[in-house]
Amino acid sequence: MTEISLTINGEPVTASVEPRTSLADFVRDSQRLTGTHLGCEHGVCGACTLEIDGEPMRSCITYAVSCDGASITTIEGFDDDDVMEDLRQAFTENHGLQCGYCTPGMLVTARDIVRRLPDADEKRVRLELSGNLCRCTGYVGIVRAILAVLEKRRG
Amino acid sequence: MSDTGIGASVPRKEDRRFLAGRGNYVADIAAANEMALAFVRSPVAHGRIRSIRKPDGAENRVFTADDLDGVEPMRAPSKLPGYKPSDFPALAIGKVRFVGETVVACVGATRAEAEDLAQAVEVDYEELDPAVDMLEARRPGAPLVHDSWGDNIALATRTDGDMESVKARAAHSVTREFRMSRQAMVPMEGRAVLAEWNSRMDQLIVHTATQVPHLIRAGLAMFLGLEQRQVRVIAPDVGGGFGLKTYVQPEELVACWYAMKFGRPARWISDRREHLIADANCREHHYIVTAHADEEGRILGLEGEVTVDAGAYSIYPFTNCLEAAMAGGNLPGPYAIEAYGVKTWTVVTNKPPLVPYRGVARPGVAFAMEMLVDAVARTVGREPHEVRMINMVPASAMPYTNIARKTFDSGDHPGAVARAAQMIDIAAVRERQARDEPDGRLIGLGFGSYVEQAAHGTSVFASWGVQMVPGYEQAGAKLTPDGGLELRVGVQSHGQGMETTLAQVASEILGIDPENVSVIHGDTGLTPYSTGTYASRSIVMAGGAVSRACEVLVERMRTIGAHLLQCEPDQIRVAGGRVMGPGGDLPFSEIGRVWYINPEELPADVDTDGVEAVVGYRPEPDHGTFSYSTHAAVVAVDPDTGAVEVLDYVVVEDCGTMVNPMVVSGQVYGGAAQGIGTALFEESPFDESGQPLASTFADYHLPGAAEVPAFRLAHMVTPSPHTEHGIKGMGEGSTIPTPAVIGNAVNDALKRYGAEVNETPISPRRVLAAIAAAEGEAA
Repeated sequence: MTEISLTINGEPVTASVEPRTSLADFVRDSQRLTGTHLGCEHGVCGACTLEIDGEPMRSCITYAVSCDGASITTIEGFDDDDVMEDLRQAFTENHGLQCGYCTPGMLVTARDIVRRLPDADEKRVRLELSGNLCRCTGYVGIVRAILAVLEKRRG
Repeated sequence: MSDTGIGASVPRKEDRRFLAGRGNYVADIAAANEMALAFVRSPVAHGRIRSIRKPDGAENRVFTADDLDGVEPMRAPSKLPGYKPSDFPALAIGKVRFVGETVVACVGATRAEAEDLAQAVEVDYEELDPAVDMLEARRPGAPLVHDSWGDNIALATRTDGDMESVKARAAHSVTREFRMSRQAMVPMEGRAVLAEWNSRMDQLIVHTATQVPHLIRAGLAMFLGLEQRQVRVIAPDVGGGFGLKTYVQPEELVACWYAMKFGRPARWISDRREHLIADANCREHHYIVTAHADEEGRILGLEGEVTVDAGAYSIYPFTNCLEAAMAGGNLPGPYAIEAYGVKTWTVVTNKPPLVPYRGVARPGVAFAMEMLVDAVARTVGREPHEVRMINMVPASAMPYTNIARKTFDSGDHPGAVARAAQMIDIAAVRERQARDEPDGRLIGLGFGSYVEQAAHGTSVFASWGVQMVPGYEQAGAKLTPDGGLELRVGVQSHGQGMETTLAQVASEILGIDPENVSVIHGDTGLTPYSTGTYASRSIVMAGGAVSRACEVLVERMRTIGAHLLQCEPDQIRVAGGRVMGPGGDLPFSEIGRVWYINPEELPADVDTDGVEAVVGYRPEPDHGTFSYSTHAAVVAVDPDTGAVEVLDYVVVEDCGTMVNPMVVSGQVYGGAAQGIGTALFEESPFDESGQPLASTFADYHLPGAAEVPAFRLAHMVTPSPHTEHGIKGMGEGSTIPTPAVIGNAVNDALKRYGAEVNETPISPRRVLAAIAAAEGEAA
């Protein structure tokens, strides 16, 4: 077991973890933050995407022990974020979710797109979503929602 | 139309929790003292188990079939004559029949500990020759999957048509061979179960990711030797199903057995590798089809041979012969054909079992039939959409009973083709096609049409011989003391948005705001019996039942309201969430208050059943609804690399009355994207020894946002004459034609080579092979 100290959704956390435990299992099982979902556990589907030090990362292929000193934000930690608020509104208006399983990871990636690429067009948005799989929506509502938020923020 | 009733694109109520990351899937539930399960799975496709050695000291944590006292193998028989049933054991008994079959179960405090234990188990196998390819497995002398059968054919059927008379009039007989490859369904949430025994209730409580909680309850009780009252199945939030989550799973039985035997909760959460190699797969059809057509391209007669690779075992409850039965019944599609003959074979192989995936057989059927239509069009030199239109049942002929005895209720099928042709702009595509593209790619145009029987009723399922025949769908509607509404339905919503759409149906009848309606679903302890969510049935059946139950509430509220408002019941109108009389009106909360809190104010003749009703509903006739659609696509094919890009994709669909057009569109987009996956990317291949070759998302390719086109969609609305509100089922439909649409577009692009693809997925390798084969023939 290895002791780590990190920040999760603004709260300091100290815990003992097995070296083999993934960050995803750590936040879900030890911290009971179950909004982070596991869809493949090999870094392809993006359902487990969360933020580490402000960057979207796949928590299923990140070891918890490697996050000592890091600041983690899971889907539960964006309630005061204005970009996330816009995205949540746009996702529901554009029917960007059905079963909801890919949604947390999709939102974290979408927030990164909106902040990093304010001028992104549809083609670029689709390319940027390559790391997040959705099986329900055909991506139509997701892409429309992200484009709507980009448009709104361009004012 | 009200702002919140039928026809309104009401934003979904369920979105709030999902967007906040507060959905509640099985894996999110923690039970005190729970143990995690991991499985030792067969590494060989076909073999005898010589010995199993448990790690020392782990006897109470490692279990084989011998340990599972009281657990029966799963048996899913069919009443169809000649059908051979197969027992599917929770843990392998004597023999293993596919790679990934559960052999040994291990428990640990965590999944990681259970997996450590599984690593330490030693199993010795005697390998046997496997039956891998369905056509070879069909032949005499093939290795036998089930030794006592004598062959590998679970069911063979034959329907003869009067082919001689049409052959005499046919100018062309066009024959093609098609294959739709084996796939996985890949809901983003895999299968998951948490089982615990509750002594107070004398009940096994099973949280499981399922579409059909009441059917799982029946199966678990049967295979575990319990009475059904002793099993409660709860499907919480379920992360997609698509057909996968309709059968009783071996792992589910083991988790239940452990919970009962040891008195501790047991959980099993599948990982993606387990899904790709060991869960039931889907599709895998082979067709040889012949159209006998006249000079105009009118198809007079159709002959088909359909083989379905059903894998090793029949799954409970839908069996392994439903696919072939549906294929045989659906091959004629939306066309008026005079003579039809079909033979089907359900073949077992050393691969995982087969379970119907969204569209159930019809994507394979349409891949064969719709590509055959285009082959006919090429033979007679006409545009494929024209050949479709002259062969389709015209609107003037509705209702129409087709050659396979399906009665189409309504609709304008040729009209949908015409509209799709207009949207895709055939003239512009043909003009572009005639010019050479600057990048050397070839442009192709493809169409595909289908008719989708949905919400099949009692008579249809009874004819398929399955054990669980749906009857009257029930819904409960209950006015709460403060004037809200609770709906209880036995279907399960796992992406379809029924927490919103069923509330809209209630809103249509009662005028109540959907925000004040709770839809309780997916729990056998809280809802009326239902066979569940599959066959695009839920909004037709549960929607109809909710509508009827709310109408009963209207009558009950009229009586109470008339007494309170001092008028006659027939003067009362219920609308806008209020009970209105000639001299005044009351909110529902007043009715609730009087019934529950102040019954001394009730009229003497009040209906003592109160403000709660459970009402059953079934459309009459019950043969199901018939939605239909035509899709069209433009693709660019690179003849040097074989790569296919979808440039444009249009859908024209008619599912009758739309309860929520936004949700309907979402179902169409999602289904079409899955169809693109089948068409171009998704395949679960096996090598000659039966080893699965796609066990990760690096090998099994799902379509991403960059691979899926921006679909363009138009709705036509022909309400069903037989259902409440004219609703037709539609959830599966758009997966059906897509592989054929893309296949037809690719073949249109390749026509200068005389090349044709005929197998999914239409990978670069298959495109290049088709070109090479055509060039070989030309040389």
